[in-house]
Amino acid sequence: MYEAVHAHPDGDATAARHAATAARYGYEGVVVRTREALDPAGSGGGPGRSPSEAAALREEYGIDVVDAVEIDADDATSASGAVGNYRSSRTVVCVVGGDDGLNRFAVEEPRVDVLVRPMDGSGDFNHVLAKAARDNGVHVEFDLGPLFRATGGKRVRALSDLRKLREIATYYDAPHVVSANPRSHLELRAPREVVAAAEAVGFDAEWVREGIRAWSEIAARNRERRSEAFIEPGVRRGRYEEDG
Amino acid sequence: MKHLPKHLRPRWRYLAVGIETWPDADLGRRGFQRALWYAAGNLLGDAGSADADLTLLSFSHDGGEGEAIVRARHGHVDDARAVIGCVSDVDGDPVGIRVRGISGTVRACEERYMGRAGGNSTQRDVAFEDAERSAVVRGDARDVRTGSGYVGAAAFDTE
Repeated sequence: MYEAVHAHPDGDATAARHAATAARYGYEGVVVRTREALDPAGSGGGPGRSPSEAAALREEYGIDVVDAVEIDADDATSASGAVGNYRSSRTVVCVVGGDDGLNRFAVEEPRVDVLVRPMDGSGDFNHVLAKAARDNGVHVEFDLGPLFRATGGKRVRALSDLRKLREIATYYDAPHVVSANPRSHLELRAPREVVAAAEAVGFDAEWVREGIRAWSEIAARNRERRSEAFIEPGVRRGRYEEDG
Repeated sequence: MKHLPKHLRPRWRYLAVGIETWPDADLGRRGFQRALWYAAGNLLGDAGSADADLTLLSFSHDGGEGEAIVRARHGHVDDARAVIGCVSDVDGDPVGIRVRGISGTVRACEERYMGRAGGNSTQRDVAFEDAERSAVVRGDARDVRTGSGYVGAAAFDTE
C-alpha cells in the first residue's frame, strides 16, 4: 500500500520524514508528488556514481520512494506541454484537475497516470470523462483529505462530491486511486485508519484498499516501461542465441 | 448503586493511540477528549457517537510525542478507528495520530503498546537547506524551525 504525499517545499515535511513516518505506519511506499522535493529517478545511479536520492531513501528507511510530478496548469494547452516535458523523466505523472477543461484533458491523455483532485473548485465529473478515463487507463483520484481535516459545510460538500464521483467511476469501472493528500507527516494516516474512515462514509473497504494499492501498480508498470529491456507493450528484450 | 451482573456489563475494547505533534504544541487531556468527542459527533452523528462511547482512559504528551488509551464499546472498534483517524487537530495544534493496537484489557494494552517514547528531545543546530537552523531532535526526527513555523525533516536531510 502506497500513499502519495506533498513534500517540502509544497508541504511541511520533507520526503525523508514522510518516508520514515509512512514506514512506521505500515505503508510499503510513498509517492512524492512534489517535483522540487526529489530528484528524478533517472539521475544519479549507474556504476561508479552515487545512487539517486530516491534510492538512498529506499535504502535508509526500507520503503519504496517514487518520484512523481503534479502538473498544476491554468489550461489544457500548458498542461499538455508539461506532460510532454515530465513524462520522460518522472515515474508517475499526475495532472491536477478542478476545472472542466483540465479534467477533460487529463482523462483523454494516455500519457497521464492520475487525474488528482478532480472535484476541487469548479471541477465536475460525468459519464463522458469516466468512459475516457477507463479507455485511456487514467486513474481518477479520490481525495480523502477533507474527510480527515475539514469540518462543517466544507466537509459535507467534499463528501457529497466524493459520493457522486464514486457512483460514476464504479459504474463505468474507471481505474481509481485513493489518497489522503497529506501535506506533512502529521497529516499522514495509517492504511487501516484510511480504510476505516472511508468505510464510515460509505466506501467499500476492499475498493478503498484497491485504490491505495493502485499507486504501487502504476509505479511498477511505469518502471518496467522505462527499463531498458522494454521495447513496446508485449515486446521486450530477452536472451538471444549468440550466432543466431 | 449495586454493580451489574457480569453478563450485563458492557464489553469494552481498549485502543492504544500514538500521537505526534510539533514540539511547541501543548496538548491537554481535556482538549484531546473534546477533540475525540467532536470528531465522533461529526463523523458518526449523535447516535453512532453514543454507541461507540469513546472515553479517554489515560493520556500523556510531552515534547511533540504522546500516547493515549481510548475505550470503545466492543463491536464498534471500526467506528472508533475511523473517528481516531479523523482527529486532525487539538485546540488548533495539528496532530498526527495512529492506532497502535487494540486489546481486551487495559493491562494488556499498556504492556503491549505503551511506553514506546522515541527518547528525549533536545534542541540543536542542524544544517538544513544550506543554512544552520535550530531544530528539535527526537530520535531520527528533526523538527526544524524556519521563518514560517516548523518543517518536519529527518536525519537523512541534515547530514
